[in-house]
Parts: sequence; C-alpha cells; structure tokens
Amino acid sequence: MKRPGRGIACMWYPIGFTVAANPSSAVVKVNEDGTATVLTGTVEVGQGSLTVLGQIAAQELGISADDVHVVSADTDIAPMDTGAIASRTTFVTGNAVRLAAAEAKTILLEVASEMLGMEPGELEAADHRIRAKTFPDKQVALAEVAARAQIARGRPPLGSASFNPPTISMDPETGQGKPFAAYVYATQIAEVEVDDETGEVEVLRICAAHDSGTAINPALVEGQVEGGIAMGIGMALEEEILFDAEGRQVNPNLTNYLIPTSLDVPRIEVDVIQSYDPLGPFGAKGVGEPTLVPTMPAILNAIHDAVGVRITDLPATAEKVLMAIKERAEVKPLGRG
Amino acid sequence: MPRKVTEEKQAEAQQLLEAPPATHLPAVAPDSLPKAPALTPEVNKQTPAVGQRVTRPDIRTHITGTTRYIDDLSFPGMLHVKILRSAHAHARILSINVDALHKMPGVVATLTGEEVPVNSFGSTYQDQPVLAVDRVRHRGDGIVAVAAETEQQALEALDAVKVDYEPLPAVFDPLEAMDPDAPKIHRIDNVYASKVIMRGDVDRGFEESDQIFERRYTTPMIEHVPLEPFAAIALWEPDGQLHVYSTNGRITLGRADLARTLSLPMNRIRLTATIIGGNFGGKNEIRTEPIVALLAKKSGRPVKAVYTRQEEFIASTTRHPLVMDYKTGIANDGRLLARSVKLVLDGGAYASWSETTVGKAAILAAGPYRIPNVRVEGRAVYTNKTVTGAMRGFGAPQVAFAYESQMDEIAYSLGIDPLEIRLLNGFEEGSISPTGQVLQAVALKETLLMAAKRSRWREGDL
Amino acid sequence: MHQVEATVNGATRRAEVSPETTLLSTLRDSWGLTGSKLGCDVGDCGACTVLVDGLSVNSCLLLAVQVNGREVVTIEGLGGFEYLHRLQTAFERLSSFQCGFCAPGMIISAKALLDENPAPTEPEIREALAGNLCRCTGYTKVIDAITEICRDRAVAVEAPA
Repeated sequence: MKRPGRGIACMWYPIGFTVAANPSSAVVKVNEDGTATVLTGTVEVGQGSLTVLGQIAAQELGISADDVHVVSADTDIAPMDTGAIASRTTFVTGNAVRLAAAEAKTILLEVASEMLGMEPGELEAADHRIRAKTFPDKQVALAEVAARAQIARGRPPLGSASFNPPTISMDPETGQGKPFAAYVYATQIAEVEVDDETGEVEVLRICAAHDSGTAINPALVEGQVEGGIAMGIGMALEEEILFDAEGRQVNPNLTNYLIPTSLDVPRIEVDVIQSYDPLGPFGAKGVGEPTLVPTMPAILNAIHDAVGVRITDLPATAEKVLMAIKERAEVKPLGRG
Repeated sequence: MPRKVTEEKQAEAQQLLEAPPATHLPAVAPDSLPKAPALTPEVNKQTPAVGQRVTRPDIRTHITGTTRYIDDLSFPGMLHVKILRSAHAHARILSINVDALHKMPGVVATLTGEEVPVNSFGSTYQDQPVLAVDRVRHRGDGIVAVAAETEQQALEALDAVKVDYEPLPAVFDPLEAMDPDAPKIHRIDNVYASKVIMRGDVDRGFEESDQIFERRYTTPMIEHVPLEPFAAIALWEPDGQLHVYSTNGRITLGRADLARTLSLPMNRIRLTATIIGGNFGGKNEIRTEPIVALLAKKSGRPVKAVYTRQEEFIASTTRHPLVMDYKTGIANDGRLLARSVKLVLDGGAYASWSETTVGKAAILAAGPYRIPNVRVEGRAVYTNKTVTGAMRGFGAPQVAFAYESQMDEIAYSLGIDPLEIRLLNGFEEGSISPTGQVLQAVALKETLLMAAKRSRWREGDL
Repeated sequence: MHQVEATVNGATRRAEVSPETTLLSTLRDSWGLTGSKLGCDVGDCGACTVLVDGLSVNSCLLLAVQVNGREVVTIEGLGGFEYLHRLQTAFERLSSFQCGFCAPGMIISAKALLDENPAPTEPEIREALAGNLCRCTGYTKVIDAITEICRDRAVAVEAPA
C-alpha cells in the first residue's frame, strides 16, 4: 500500500570559503557607443555567471544586459579570480565587476558634468543616459558621453577593481571568528509516497523557498534551485559509490550508479525570497550550492511521516526502507508519524 | 578503461533499426520555418538590468549544438592520451617498465612521474602526485601516460606497461583509519585536518536539559556526474608559450598549480577554460593538465586527454562520506539548549579540498538555530579510497541531513509541529552563530513560512 | 575499412570507417558534426541522441556501418543560429538548459516525441526524456518548455509550412 508523507527541512549556508583570502578582480571597458565589455577570470560552468555578471555591470552603468559582453576564463586576457567555486561568483566576482563598472562610470559622470554644466555628484547613469538626479530632463545619451570621453577628452571610460569579502579568522582553539561575510537561508518541504510492500519512495512534489539576497536574475535562481533539488533527490534515495573489499569501485558507470532522470524529479515549486545583503552587489548573495542542502532531510523526514521509520544512513534505498518498515512493524502498526 | 557496451544495449539499438520504416521520415528542420525571434529577446534590452529574467547569452549556442566544449576542439596532428591506473588500493611500486610501450602501434610519447619537474599538487597540501612513482594510495592513481595517434591505440598500448607492486595493508574505513595502529597512508598522521568550534558550556547545557537526543548519521561517497567528462588539451606555441585548454573551474589557481608542477614562470602559461559541461566542484583542481603539457613537449604535437566516464568516477574527486554523532539537549517546551557534534570525514587518499570541507561542515553543523551551548569537532581522515574533495555544498548537505533529521525526531517526540519547532529556535536578524558572528540579512523564517504557505503545511494533512 | 553513405541532415555524406567505428565518432570526427556529445560512450546518458529514420537512438551504440543508406538527423539539422526549430525557441525563452551539454540529445528526443505524438501529456514527456540525463536543471524548465509549445499548438491554428 502506498502511504503519503510530508517532511520539512531548513538550512543556512555561507557564501565563499575560508581557508585563504577569497578575492576576485574585474575590468570593465565602456565602448565608444555606450556598450561595455567585462573581463573576468571566473568560468562559466552552466551556472549562468556570464549572464549575472553582465547584468551587474549593466545595472551600475545604467545600460541593459544586452549592451554588455562578458569575456571570461582565460589567464592571458582576464584578471585573477578565485574561481567558480563555493557559490562565490555573484557575491565576490559580482562585487569586483560592480566596483570596476563604478570606476568607469566615474569617468563618464565627469565628462557628462562638463556637457551638462552640473557637478558629477548631481548626476546618475540610468536608462542609457547620464542625467541629473533631481532634474531628469537634463540628460545626455550615455553613448554620446562615452564617445566624447574617449575621442574628444582622451579619457577612455575604463575601470578595474578587486573585492575580497571581509572576514575575521577563526580562533584555532574555540573556532570563534567571522569566517564568512554572508549567509543564505532556505526551506524545502517534500511530499512523498512510500510503498510499504516494496520500500520504494516516490517524491511527488517539492516546495522550495530560497533566500539569495537580491535575485539578480530570478529565472537563473529558479534553475539553480530546481537542479540542486534533483541532485538532492539522488543523494537522498539512490546515489552511492560502492567499494569491494579490495578498495575497487563496484559501480563506476551510469548503468549502476543511478542519477535522477526526468521520471524521478517531481514538480518543483520555487519561491525566491528577496532579502538585501548590505555587502552584496545590489544586495545579492548567492545560490549555487545551498539548493540541494535541505532536500535530503526533507525527503527523509517525509519518509518518516509516511511509514514511521527513520533512515539514518543515506541513501534511503527501497531495500533499506523496506527492512526498516519490517523491523518497525514488529513493534507497532504502520501509519502516519 | 575499455569501452563496455552491453550486448543487450547493442541489440536494442539494432532492433530499433529493424523496426518497420517510420511513416514520418524527417525532412531537415521540418517545422523550423517560422523565423526565430530576434537574437536578443526584449527583456535583455530593458533597464534596470538587475532583477530581469534575462535570457542567457550562451543559450542559443547550447540549443543549436554549436557551443564549443573542449572535446569539440581539435588541432592538426593532435595526439590522444590514456593513463594506466593502479592495480592496488595501497602498494609500493617496485618498478615501472615502459620499454615495450614504444613498440606499440601509434604510440608517440610516454610519461612517468619521474619526468614531471615537481611531481605533486593539491589545493591545501601538495600530497598528490601527478603520476605515482614509488607508491600508490588508491586505485585511481595514475602511473604511466601514453600519447598515441588515436584513443584506441593509446588504450591498447597500456597493456604493454609492466608495473611491479608490493601490496601494502590498506584501510578503507575512516574510523579504523583513526586507530593509531592503522596503516599510515602518508608520512603524517591519517587525521590530517580538523576543526573545533566551542560556544557556551555544552556540558552544563546538557545538565540543564530536560531531554537528550543522541544519534549517529552517515552519508556515502557521491560522484558529481557532470555530463561532460574532465578534459585538457596542451599546445606549445612557436614562441615557447604553453597554451592549455581545460575544463578547470578556477583558472587562476589552476595556472599556479601548473606553473609549479612544470617549473615554468606563470607568464609563459596560458590556461583557458572552455565552456564547461557541468562542474559541481569536481573540476576545481588540475588533473591531466601537467601530463598533456609534458607529452606535448615531448612529442612536439598538440595533445588531448579526455576522461572516460569510469575515470570520472575513480580518478576525479568525489563527495566526502561523513560519520556524524549528534547529541542535543532540549527543554520540554522545545528550545534547544545544547548540541555537541562529532564529525569524521572520509578524506580518501589525498587531501584535496578536505580542509575547507571539514571547516564548512563544522561551522554549519549545529544548524540555523539559536543554541547557547555548542561544541563541534570535525576531523578529516586519509583512507585508501577515491579522493574526496569539493562538491556542491562542501560538507553542508551531510550535516544538514543530520541536524534536520534530529530536529524532526525531537519535534515528533515532543508532539510539536516540525515547522513550529524550527520557528521557535531559528536564527533571526542579529542572532549569534556558533562562531560568535552576528548575523545580518537573516531570512530563515521567511523561507520557512513561504515554503509552508506554498505547500499548505498549516492547513493540515495531505 | 568500410564505405558508409548516409543522408545526414538532408545531405549525402560518405566516410571510410573501420568496422568498430561508432556513428557518434563518425559524426564528430569524420563529418565535423560535433553537436552530438560523448558523455558515457555506453548508451546511459543520451547526450549523443540522434534520429535515424525518424527514431531517436544513442549514436554511441550504433556502428557507422549500421546507418549505411539511412537518414540521420542531428541537432545541427534542426535549426541554426539565425533560425530555430520551435522547440529551440521555447527552450531559449525559458533558459531551459544550464551547462548545455545534454541539450542536443534532449532536444532530439523531444523532437522524436512530438513527431510521434504532437500533444503529449506531462507523464509522456517525462517518459520520452528518461534516457537523457541532465545534472544541472532538474528537467523542470525543459519539461515546461515542451509543455508550453504543446499548449500553444493546441490553441493556435497551424500555419501551413
């Protein structure tokens, strides 16, 4: 008989890592036509860093994502970056890109101030223009300013910057300190059905609420959450590298090491919770890794809710769940909780 | 690693072809006539840029099959590399004989660890050889690399390598590896990284608790399974610059490792990461980059090495298995008063990212809860198993499985709703973490309430 | 060596191959069609999926000689940078893929499904994609995109091609 259950789990997760400093650098060049090119040493691994870093530069310069081209992943071309690791790209590299764009913008504002007869501090870059903050009608096209800066004034609008998250190293005896600059939070609720005759667990639905600070691109945040949950389902129910007695992997292939397919991943409903991190670029934190962190316990807690057994050694394979059900049935009848 | 296609699969594929002719023969692009939307969708042109659901700039090449991943690159005269891996989990290498290798068809160049200028690498400790010379510590250790005209020739040539081993006692269980009498895997103690976090007085906290919950949780070794296997290509430019293409996710540090292993100045090395077909932490260290660089030097030709799926499992890093002992003291109203956690991480044969992982696991181990008394002790231990390293979450998924399983057990035992007990104990703005950090931008309860609302948690049963 | 001649994306292609050469390596190495990917080489991951006479198959499992005289369609035959198959348009709009390595195979499987069944249900879509592994997306936005174009097709009057 198939028994329904639901489980909840939450988590916290830090952005970046702690063993050494964690810097990123970036270069932003505003071209004569008001488009921009970003140089970064991070690497696109599918997470969407090219998209998000472009949006961050665009936001600072008051232009659109389409106006920014991001060049990455080449040590001869791009400045240093600690890399596509530890959910750090949006927060750390994003800050470096933002600061570099701000430096290029300073040149644009200074050149525009001559054109508009205003102080640079009275101006802002928005909607492809440089305009007076309080008199938005007083404005000039950003492309015009960029061309003038380079061609007439001899000041190419270029910026380069680095960012390293502020941390306090941990006391080796007590671990007291400030190991990370920012943390994200999340909750997932899993709904499952457990077949009490076979031990098979089917995940029916997962509701996921993730805080990532400001979502620079909500579609990409959702995509990360959905993919992380799929990985979490695998870790909860089926994935395990097995060894024989001589230390040889028994299942080093995708025939016998199963990862979730389209049939194993259920409907996932994602809510992106917006918070504002004072240190993040435009309030952003990060999202890559934390997405799978609550998935296993949410599913395992749902299995308990369904058939009253707690699996404490992952993965909760059908054999393991069935054995636990049998052991439990000797003590008391199956049922919710 | 021979290619293994099961007979059933081959038969299945053949059977498909034997099926009656399809009635709907595909013309090329049968319904592709409607023009695609403009190259850039409208949303990508809007300001402000932040917060827009901007379309990925790389999506169109992905969906047309035109993204150039590393295996899609090839250079005139390029050779292909295969690597002989250890036949033992732990052994002394007595001799390596590659003489017969040079007579094998298609073989152009070979490489052993003795030819690597600095034969060690690692992100924290440089304890891992590029190619093993006198000792193997797990079955994924490479010993001899061969570059041949084709992949198949390189693979077949490996049979000609003779390696004599003297097997050593091996240890596979991290708890056994902590025993002082256990076989030593490196010169240092098997426990090679640790982290302690103490806040408040955990013993007094347990004394003041109404109830104590204790349980052990364990998690297995997990593989990243990026759809694209690890790969690298090396070419030497005519001016003596080395250009390496690789699936490395952290090129700044990758170039530093490459410069170190090759004893080359950094400005003579260009490391280019291609668009990577999935990483998840598994592509954050150099692996075959020094090997292809040296084989390219020896052969004078471009050299490519692509991992097989099996190598991806046995010769890349994996997720740390953890043994986690949780003890939690609570008041009868559900408040957490004290928690002690002992973590043992199976570090595999080499350190890789274990120090970061044990640190992150320890820092996060008590969960996102206001607990006045906390003691966490984490240790990473060498075993003769596959190397464990960075993987999405760095120890956090494992400890979350433990702390959230135990939270659920406490809630059920006290008859408190699992949502409510989390709201009762969860971090708030300004809460202090186990490391003494004052937390800001804390959105934990917002996520709890939103997920509960979405799933209609409080409305009751399913 | 064997001579192979096949219609690939509408054009006749020839290659001289050894008997053990797979269709995948012939596509990639002899014909320069690198859109089909090698992820496992034993038919587990689906990154190499192509259509042979309209049926979706893993090209790493087929020998090149097995497609002699047959019709092969790869991802390159579906759409190009300047024009897209309607499936590709939907995948682009939703940014359905992340690293993109599984995309060519996944899209071919989706096309095979829609050729056979223009209005699949969600379970039918999931079934059709079950042989194409993806580690990035959780399949969610892939399934959403296919569902969306089926819905669009259901309400729109089909314009003649």
